[in-house]
Amino acid sequence: MVPADPILICRDCDTVYRAIPLRPGDVALCRRCDAVLARYFGAKVESGLALVCAAAIFFAIANLTPILSIDIAGIETKANIWFAVRSLQHGWICVAALGLACTTFLIPAVQMALLLWVLLFARVGRRPPGFGPIMRLLHQIRPWSMTEVFLLGALVAIVKLANWVPITAGAGIWAIAALTTVLALLGRCDPASWWLIAPAVKA
Amino acid sequence: MTPLRQALDFGLVLCRTCGLAVSHLSVGAERRCPRCQSRIAHRTPSSTEMTLGWLIAGIVFYIPANLLPVMHTSGLLGETDSTIVGGILEFWRSGDWDIALLIFIASVAVPFTKFIAIGLLLLTVRKNSRWEQRQRTGLYRIVEFIGYWSMLDVIVVALTSALMQFEVLGTAEPRAGIAFFCAVVVVTMLSALSFDPRLIWDRRA
Repeated sequence: MVPADPILICRDCDTVYRAIPLRPGDVALCRRCDAVLARYFGAKVESGLALVCAAAIFFAIANLTPILSIDIAGIETKANIWFAVRSLQHGWICVAALGLACTTFLIPAVQMALLLWVLLFARVGRRPPGFGPIMRLLHQIRPWSMTEVFLLGALVAIVKLANWVPITAGAGIWAIAALTTVLALLGRCDPASWWLIAPAVKA
Repeated sequence: MTPLRQALDFGLVLCRTCGLAVSHLSVGAERRCPRCQSRIAHRTPSSTEMTLGWLIAGIVFYIPANLLPVMHTSGLLGETDSTIVGGILEFWRSGDWDIALLIFIASVAVPFTKFIAIGLLLLTVRKNSRWEQRQRTGLYRIVEFIGYWSMLDVIVVALTSALMQFEVLGTAEPRAGIAFFCAVVVVTMLSALSFDPRLIWDRRA
């Protein structure tokens, strides 16, 4: 693979490198500060699309089925991302609800929608309307997506409550685990790499 | 091996959004990246001031986050307000040392690591220090990576409150401490994101 950008500059220490072709599995590291300069980018538009579709399906399952549920003598309570957000709506504590809603629901949803938009246009060889702003937004919201933290939180909640009540994990927890994996795979192809598909895409 | 040189030596600027190496000459008066139109600068403008500001906000919010209760439970055993540290101690006493350790790491160790690490980075950058530049850059990446895991306690409290809604057996409700804790996570992440690690390597007169 020939890198699209002939010159690489380290994000963390500003050292300049001339890019060399990378083989599958290769990672280019900065000699001065060990930062990742570039990864082999083998993702095709099709595989990107497949991953985004898979992520969207897992996201839907995670939000439509209970992640955790408790059943005591016929009285059942359920929880998923949305129930968790709603339970934080107590007076002004709802700012925490807002934080949780953004990081575990809104931002992953926006990420998937924008990637789908960009990749669908790339599939037919066109540059999507708003490509620049979309790529900038994807870059900015990336640190704020917290699906994996939600997964760990759900696991902690199970162990925490299991001493007191009969708690069971629903289909949603598997969906969250799968979503975490797929988003991580998409995340490895960071938005900067998606610019590599841009030259092939006519303006 | 050819000597390592910085972008400035070649008249280049990195676009931190799309990773393009931009020549000083093609930046123009607008100071935007020709590829993605992001604002670009040789170094993030007022990076240390923003980092320090958000860091102080984080430390300030961390106090009520720990002093105020994060959850209120009521049930057969009476009513209790629990704080973050109280919750950890409860797990520890009841024998769940692993969960106690996990919450301790996410809610106490990670925020403190961030406060100390960002403080250290700011101090050494201000002093123009050449001490352990490689390790300090690694420290910055660790701070960036661990940042959002502190959200763990917010999620656990939210899920517990959503699930514990049994009128007879017990109910759980969030309390103000958790909102402050959420704020700590957000502002310390903003602090880390504001920091420009290239300052570690700069040698100013």
